[in-house]
Amino acid sequence: MTRLMMKITGLCALIVALALPTSALGAERSQFSIAWSIYVGWMPWDYGANAGIVKKWADKYGIEIDVVQINDYVESINQYTAGQFDGCAMTNMDALTIPAAGGVDSTALIIGDFSNGNDGVVLKGKQSLADIKGQSVNLVELSVSHYLLARGLETVGLAERDIKVVNTSDADMVAVYGTDSVTAVTTWNPLLSEIAAMPNSHRVFDSSQIPGEIIDLLVVNTETLQAYPQFGKALVGAWYEIMERMAAQDAIGIEARTQMAGASGTDLAGYEAQLDSTRMFYRAADAVAFNNSAELVKTMEYVAGFSFDHGLLGDSAADAGFIGVAMPAGTFGDKNNIKLRFDNSYMQMAVDGKL
Amino acid sequence: MTPLIEARRVWREYGGNIVLENVNARVNAGEFITIVGASGCGKTTFLRMLLGSDSPSRGELLLQGDTIPDEPGPDRGIVFQRYSVFSHLSVLQNVSLGLEFERSPLLARLFGTSRRNAESTARELLTTVGLGHALHRYPFELSGGMQQRLAIAQSLIKRPEILLLDEPFGALDPGIRKDMHELILGLWRETGVTVFMTTHDLEEGFYLGTRLWVFDKIRHDPDNPNRYGAHISYDIPLGKCQPEVLDEIAANRVKATHAGRSDCR
Amino acid sequence: MKRMVNLQPSRAARIGLGLLPLVLLVLAYWLASDARLAENPNDKLMPAFGSFIDAIERLAFEPNKRSGEYLFWNDTAASLKRIGLGVGLSALIGLVFGIACGLLPLVRAGLSPLVTIISLIPPMAILPILFIVFGLGELSKVMLIVIGISPFIIRDLQGRVMEISQEILIKAQTLGANTWQIVVRVVLPQVLPRLLDAVRLSLGSAWLFLIAAEAIAATEGLGYRIFLVRRYMSMDIILPYVAWIALLAFAMDWSLKTLSRWLFPWYFGIGASDKASTESTKVAERTA
Repeated sequence: MTRLMMKITGLCALIVALALPTSALGAERSQFSIAWSIYVGWMPWDYGANAGIVKKWADKYGIEIDVVQINDYVESINQYTAGQFDGCAMTNMDALTIPAAGGVDSTALIIGDFSNGNDGVVLKGKQSLADIKGQSVNLVELSVSHYLLARGLETVGLAERDIKVVNTSDADMVAVYGTDSVTAVTTWNPLLSEIAAMPNSHRVFDSSQIPGEIIDLLVVNTETLQAYPQFGKALVGAWYEIMERMAAQDAIGIEARTQMAGASGTDLAGYEAQLDSTRMFYRAADAVAFNNSAELVKTMEYVAGFSFDHGLLGDSAADAGFIGVAMPAGTFGDKNNIKLRFDNSYMQMAVDGKL
Repeated sequence: MTPLIEARRVWREYGGNIVLENVNARVNAGEFITIVGASGCGKTTFLRMLLGSDSPSRGELLLQGDTIPDEPGPDRGIVFQRYSVFSHLSVLQNVSLGLEFERSPLLARLFGTSRRNAESTARELLTTVGLGHALHRYPFELSGGMQQRLAIAQSLIKRPEILLLDEPFGALDPGIRKDMHELILGLWRETGVTVFMTTHDLEEGFYLGTRLWVFDKIRHDPDNPNRYGAHISYDIPLGKCQPEVLDEIAANRVKATHAGRSDCR
Repeated sequence: MKRMVNLQPSRAARIGLGLLPLVLLVLAYWLASDARLAENPNDKLMPAFGSFIDAIERLAFEPNKRSGEYLFWNDTAASLKRIGLGVGLSALIGLVFGIACGLLPLVRAGLSPLVTIISLIPPMAILPILFIVFGLGELSKVMLIVIGISPFIIRDLQGRVMEISQEILIKAQTLGANTWQIVVRVVLPQVLPRLLDAVRLSLGSAWLFLIAAEAIAATEGLGYRIFLVRRYMSMDIILPYVAWIALLAFAMDWSLKTLSRWLFPWYFGIGASDKASTESTKVAERTA
């Protein structure tokens, strides 16, 4: 009986150990991992890992970095928030509503790009966004699509109550759009271009009309970053080496983009079409400039307002500023509850060539 | 006079297996035929042909001069050794069902006065077979003997010309079997129905029947037991036979059993 | 000491043994949750039990700020309606085709291969076709359940019909029944309790297909809510919803079982007067 009890106690201990965030275990770490999912702006991570660039920079700082692809975007963020990863590629809005709202202090280490037409609203048989009034709109609820739609509606004097949102899985968006009952969708690329190319379909609003509001980031755990700055340095160093290759117009650049295209399930032309509606920050200096701008503060205010209205900031949130967001140009929200930080220092090192 | 049942050179073969060969018989209305024979010697096959769920592969089986229908019908009632009653119906419903089929083609259900009439007919019959006290029980609440009483009553409500009993008392205790013998003899006399009954029990066959048939193979091929089929090897009008015949049949059966059951399979 | 195979737990011990793993699970969760919350009080992966109560209180007993609806009950009603329609329709289809295929060799020859092939197609794999054929509304959700479980019910019921002894079917014919009468008075009542068995067995899959359908495109429902709040990892909502689904599934199974025992006592061999009647039967038989 006592042996049984011991076994049970052991089992419980095991469960507890599994449940604890990995960062809580072990004093000195040299192994780190980041998660990413397939999206035009994050394909460079896959390329960098395969081309050995990430390993080269990790070696330089005496650490190891695992770059793990997660098939489901939301799942990758959830895994990061639960502590299974030290970093994860995500958008500014999801960074606020998932890890930050979940109490995980997170830092936007790298600003990779912003969506410049990669997210959009498509109507069937109607030419203008104002026609959306009264329709059911299929989209991934509470995602950047939802945010984009809300921002779009404002531009034509409508609000969310003027339409009906139908939560629809992104995997089925194209199939769903093929049915007669679906007349309006909001989605992202590559689904967006596929849907907009269907007969009688019109792209009535897209993210190029709210430039810089849907930002793709590499977010890392703030605590981990503070304890292990070499982790941040290696990631940023690797990223800008990848960017340099990717931006090149020579054979190396084409080869890099072709590989990224293949890994995301399209060809070079398809991938470059997606890049056209994505404002990549190939140069660290551009990213730093964007980060320093006052517009970013404004954007995060919009995002926080939307998130609060939709209950994404948690039940204890009294207003949109419940979670503080620290940016170089100022802090939005509660200064005593800062959970999301836009940090320039590492990208600045890349600008200064100090990595 | 046309016999009720006439078998003319009836064969039953399943592929290369010959079960019955060259069966000839004439049966008049009102007879009580008991059929004995080793397992697999075609007793049940013959009964199934009378029932209509099986047909001769050669020869003719006639009912009142016409070929017997090749599917079961209400003129030929059946009681099997088991599973003859409907488990989802009460005793009374089991018996009145036969009337409901007849009088309500679409729903097979009677209501109001017609239902009460059917039930009272059924109740009368059930009282005759000794189930008057158990009208509202389900079959699973009945003993084996009671279930067979129910099955008999169920068949007789259709007033069939022929009642087929396929080893009806084989699964019952000896004491209960005696009661059942009296019951079936009483009903036979009362209704004048023609009975064909298979049994394993030779004495039961002698006791109940007016005529006893023994199904057996006349020829044996030890290398190919299914080469030859069985026929009616004895056709004994009962009450007139010598005790030696009984001994002879019994001896033959022992021999057949010793020669191997496969003989008749 | 007896052999293990011969050791029977007492009634109290059986309940205790049954509860033990559950208690251990709850305890393990509580310990782990506590440890995580000590590290990060806002942790959403393993919320404290109090958070579950708060979440349910908010969703079930307070009107939603934006819509004024009681989300929990709205979701429950939407899901129950879908699963009820889906399972009910499947049962009806299963009954009709199961009896037709099981009883009539001609129909069986024509339909059985098709049903077998359909039952082998994973419905989730042909979702886009379902959307185009049935649209994106309630119908496609109900149809996903129907396509998911009715082939199983048809095949199960066909087998059950074929298991009905030949003696019974022949007996009905000797009582003058035609095919239709055999169906309504013999086969149908004989397979109804078996249909309830098949429905109970398929409930698990039905829930699976329901949740899947609600995850794909919906505006309400238990599966919809789970997949929606999963986006921001509100386990404080997801776990109570999962428990609620389990409870609903259990309640449905239990009600079907109870209904079946009440409607078809003969199927379970439950008499009004069980053993006593068998005894008196034997006595009655001797004296008869």
